[in-house]
Amino acid sequence: MLKYIIKRVLWMIPLLIGISLISFFIMHLAPGDITSNETAFNPKASEESRQKLREMYNLDKPVIVQYGLWLKRLATLDFGKSFASHQKPVFWQTTDKDGNVTKGLIQEALPITLMINLLGLAITLILAIPLGIIAARKYQGWQDRSITLFNFVGFSIPGFWLSLLLMYWLGVVNNWFPISGLHSLNYESLDTWGKIKDSLSHLFLPVVIPSITGLAGITLFVKNGMLDVLHQDYITTARAKGLNEHKVIYTHALRNALLPLITIIGLSIPGLIGGSVIAETIFAIPGMGKLFYDAVLMRDFPVVMGILTIGSALTLLGNLLADLMYAWADPRVRRGVVKG
Amino acid sequence: MNLSMFKKALSNPLALAGFIIIVLIFVLAMLAPFIAPYDPNEINVKAILLGPSMQHWMGTDGLGRDVLSRMLHGGRISLLVGLVAVGISTLIGILLGAIAGFYRGWVDVLIMRLVDVMLSIPSFFLILAVIAFLTPSIINIMIVIGLTSWMGVTRLVRAEFLSLCEREYVMASRTLGARDYRLIFKHLLPNSLTPIIVSAVLGVAGAVLMESGLSFLGLGVQAPQASWGNILTDGKEYIQFAWWLSLFPGLAILITVLGYNLLGEGLRDALDPRSGHQK
Repeated sequence: MLKYIIKRVLWMIPLLIGISLISFFIMHLAPGDITSNETAFNPKASEESRQKLREMYNLDKPVIVQYGLWLKRLATLDFGKSFASHQKPVFWQTTDKDGNVTKGLIQEALPITLMINLLGLAITLILAIPLGIIAARKYQGWQDRSITLFNFVGFSIPGFWLSLLLMYWLGVVNNWFPISGLHSLNYESLDTWGKIKDSLSHLFLPVVIPSITGLAGITLFVKNGMLDVLHQDYITTARAKGLNEHKVIYTHALRNALLPLITIIGLSIPGLIGGSVIAETIFAIPGMGKLFYDAVLMRDFPVVMGILTIGSALTLLGNLLADLMYAWADPRVRRGVVKG
Repeated sequence: MNLSMFKKALSNPLALAGFIIIVLIFVLAMLAPFIAPYDPNEINVKAILLGPSMQHWMGTDGLGRDVLSRMLHGGRISLLVGLVAVGISTLIGILLGAIAGFYRGWVDVLIMRLVDVMLSIPSFFLILAVIAFLTPSIINIMIVIGLTSWMGVTRLVRAEFLSLCEREYVMASRTLGARDYRLIFKHLLPNSLTPIIVSAVLGVAGAVLMESGLSFLGLGVQAPQASWGNILTDGKEYIQFAWWLSLFPGLAILITVLGYNLLGEGLRDALDPRSGHQK
């Protein structure tokens, strides 16, 4: 197992270098000097911050040297400072000489996005696994056909449109749920129970909508996994020796059918992080997606580059975790019998 | 893929439904200049935010423009962006996948690592970042979506090539002294077309969704030019007063994407004997 982990971690190094290369060269796509391009759009950037940007990216040096120096700073997790939002550090908090702590932008935004996506993923799984099992057991029956139809619509519906409709119906017409932000204005004056209720009602729409749109893929996946497993010999054996159907499905088949789900969840991480842009913009949630979108509009390069790099690194980390979990769950992989 | 395969594919009810939807939407979009009741960009201050009526079937927007006319013209943009973007990504995918699968060795390693790198950058972030540095325009959007979505096709073509290269007819042709380009274009590529077509059709669905998302965020097709995505941006603005601004463009996107998804999955079922569970 240790050998597998080491191999798997070492394998990430060339990928990280590739990601840093792409992130770096995107910055050089801009026609001309990025400092002039950026300031043309961003009135908040002063001559001073432009100078800082030039220093930060060493724009007076050759491109390859710039990249080397940028990489060196990345290695110490120094992503620089945002120039659109009062020189806040992009990634993690800094302490100045008076002992004042300034929180990093990503440090503040990341937990919010992670929480929303993890809650959404939990809801998706809770709904998708039973639906997938039903579709597989009643294959080609009316249950399966309705679930398939639902899947097609789920694949095709634009998430932001569903958000708008539900926002209108649940938030505006019926006024059941607040439609923007994470807390009400009077949040600080509420008691503990009130705070929980307030947070939950704000989270409802942003969490439920992505989990509805993500449902289709996972349901289909569980269904196909179940169908594959149900035709294998060991299931026939289990039935032949007289086990009841419930036990065959839930203790024998399900465990093997759900195994590949680990990989799929790992692979869906970039989509979840990227998808947060639209959802967070609609519901005014101060997470990674909104931070990124605002940075793009302001041409706030340090933040754009920082989120691009951190978002990709998180994806790699997610895939690594998924692979390790898979190896942990499937002894064949960690003993190198089959490739995971 | 020849005519008889196409017929076989359309005997699948899902594929047929998808095909009809797409043809209908194409016809409507092509005829937009002739059937649109109003100029899509004509501002009419006397008709601001009117609900659906006989004069304006889908109502009017915040500038008094006719939503039906804007929808028809916007459809042209959505369809164009989807097709061109997927054209770009499919071409890149075929090229890189063919090189990787045919020549193997270090080129293969290099290309597949590039695929891995591209797949680990959240694609929506990548697209937004690129657009932040360029100016949003229809051409740029098509190129950017194309350049960020070729990885699936590459993997697909490479896998097909790897398995086809082991076939006897390819080996025979090689033994007879066929050149690389003949092997690739006469023997390997034609036999890999089915999965490429399926993935391209499904890819258009993804590209239409992507374009509408970008336009919705204001980073896609720019006003005053209509696209389904940017009509929805107005819809969000006026959501308290004008439901029709949100309902119709979203439905149009849903139906179009559904059409492509149905056609793609139907084609896959009909043309690929390995898929599905006919056990």
